[in-house]
Amino acid sequence: MTLAQLKELDEIPVELVEKVRESVLNTFESILGEELRYVGESNGGEPLNGIIGNVNVFNSEYTISLMLAIPKETALFFSEVFIGMELPFESDDMGDLIGEISNILAGDVAANVEKVGFRGQSSLPTATRGSDLTLFMPNKPPMERMKFISEHTEFLLTMVLSESN
Amino acid sequence: MSKIRALIVDDSKIMRSAVKRALNNLMLADFEYVDAKDGEDALGKFNDEIDIMFVDWNMPNMTGVEFSQAVRKQGYDKIPIIMVTAEKSMGKVDKALNEGGADEYITKPFTPDKMNKAISDYFDDDGNIVSGDDGEEEEKGFFKSILNS
Repeated sequence: MTLAQLKELDEIPVELVEKVRESVLNTFESILGEELRYVGESNGGEPLNGIIGNVNVFNSEYTISLMLAIPKETALFFSEVFIGMELPFESDDMGDLIGEISNILAGDVAANVEKVGFRGQSSLPTATRGSDLTLFMPNKPPMERMKFISEHTEFLLTMVLSESN
Repeated sequence: MSKIRALIVDDSKIMRSAVKRALNNLMLADFEYVDAKDGEDALGKFNDEIDIMFVDWNMPNMTGVEFSQAVRKQGYDKIPIIMVTAEKSMGKVDKALNEGGADEYITKPFTPDKMNKAISDYFDDDGNIVSGDDGEEEEKGFFKSILNS
């Protein structure tokens, strides 16, 4: 893939999307200890009352941005399975937890996309908490929105491919 | 059973707690913990009394590999360094073990079993650290054989 090709792309190459989807399933099934299912693309629809974990996998040419949109109830369940107790949703620890989960996902994605020729490294994660959160991309880069559900959770992953700055 | 002083280096407080909880549950030793939020902080807290270190890779200010390299350059060759990280590619494992001087590599999310397999050889039955032992070298050799295959 060259920069010129990226500019012409409307969609992210399917190999990259598949590897990222695979990483989400592997990572979250390990964390949750329950089966996670990809239930298809999502239009991003309703505003989120929850927390968004942001992390990038990047090299000098391209950046894969990963945004995990996690509803409040799912974030609370993550805290139960990850640290053995429910964290207060409004706490700093909850932001720390979602950042760390995003970081773990990025580590798996970086290793997985390398198999299809994208060699990159992960950034430090950030987390944003709020209500009525809506994700939008002003420059309309190639983007994929994926929805996942398990018995106790549901969340969205927005994946964006862009040129590195 | 003497106290084992473990330096836990991770920018996530949640992960530092998770590592400590896993170590306590394994009951390999009577641990006493020193927390550090990145490599720079860890260098400031590192001293002769530290017996073992659990180090994340991706942190602000100074990465875990840079920290490990700095410790080894100071001549601390025997103190076990366990990388506990989300980085999974073989290139990263190679870098941590060979350039960073780490002894073991545990990927997140880790299970108690995974942690136990990686570190149990570093402790004797009385909960003391066994450093520079042959088993340790064999384990590292195992990782290297994967990297070279």
